[in-house]
Amino acid sequence: MRQNYRECSVRNNYNIQASLIITLLMVSININAADLPPLTHELTSVNKRLAAPELRLQNMDEEIVDIKDFKGKVVVVNFWATWCPPCRREMGSLERLYQATKDKNVEILAVNIGEDIDTVFSFMGTVEPSPDFEMIFDPDAASMDSWKVRGLPTTYIINPEGIIVYRAIGGREFDHPEILKKVLALTKQ
Amino acid sequence: MIKIIKIGFFTFFCLPYIVMAQQNIHTNSASSAKTWETHVDGVHFSLTQILPEQVQAFYVNRGFTLDQIEPYSSSCVYMSVLRNDNAPGTIHFISNNWSVLVDGQSHSLVSVEQWVQRLTTNNTKKSSLVAFRWAQFPPEQEYEPGGDWNQGMFSIGLDASAQFDIIAQWDIEGKKYEAKLQGVQCAK
Repeated sequence: MRQNYRECSVRNNYNIQASLIITLLMVSININAADLPPLTHELTSVNKRLAAPELRLQNMDEEIVDIKDFKGKVVVVNFWATWCPPCRREMGSLERLYQATKDKNVEILAVNIGEDIDTVFSFMGTVEPSPDFEMIFDPDAASMDSWKVRGLPTTYIINPEGIIVYRAIGGREFDHPEILKKVLALTKQ
Repeated sequence: MIKIIKIGFFTFFCLPYIVMAQQNIHTNSASSAKTWETHVDGVHFSLTQILPEQVQAFYVNRGFTLDQIEPYSSSCVYMSVLRNDNAPGTIHFISNNWSVLVDGQSHSLVSVEQWVQRLTTNNTKKSSLVAFRWAQFPPEQEYEPGGDWNQGMFSIGLDASAQFDIIAQWDIEGKKYEAKLQGVQCAK
């Protein structure tokens, strides 16, 4: 169904224009890569045995996605927004992680905070490689409290039993070999 | 006497230099925005100027009107970064408790919650307020060593061209740490 949205050619011109506007705006507010710290690849082990909170939201095709349906898989949950510079920087690496693991029982859920489908769709065209994983929408930021998110981006990695095992606050290089190794190790537990 | 002169020389000339050496200032050649940064006890702290027009553009694109966002955009806004590179433990901070000094006098920060209240009117879109809230530097946060960090907008609440010192404070298991940036200028 995600593919259906992407194939919607009626919106293409609008989306290209919107992408350009977003890109120009981000440049204009001097969020320049030269000013930003490099992304690291460390993940924090979550030692308390915490079950992943509820997460049940609409995706790009306005279908409900429920994290409970992914039990038995490793799930990477990434909270983000298009206007968040480190979120934008790490998005391509999340897609590369997805491509390297999607056939190995790993899912990625990117939870967009406060934006609409058109905005996110436009942004996706600016990311290389363009995200193919599941995007879900939390327009009111209602999930932030239960997931204890205090800043964007924040990412959790959940094992097949539904337990949070790693956390990362701030942007990361998710396709780094060390992160890939940790994610794949969880699939073999 | 010679010893006193040596101590005086060190205090007035060398010590300030050593303290100031911890602070780095650089200017982005493309945007002319200045960044003040320091690295203390394994923690990086920086403030980068954002012009009022740039703040306005960001929030108008998120659905605010110019009138709605003007009080915030004209309040000396920075892009703040705090990152735990290799501190000796988990750092915890409440950014509203950080100290701002103008001409040696303490200046109170307006909290993110207060800004959200000020910007909430009958005409403000909910999506705009959500974007505003989450684009701010976190009011409270914990970072693990190894690179946990956030980047967000941080209002000082001063007029354009004002100058101030800021002391960012955090604790590790109750032990207090701080990083100071001196002579920071609001963008005009």
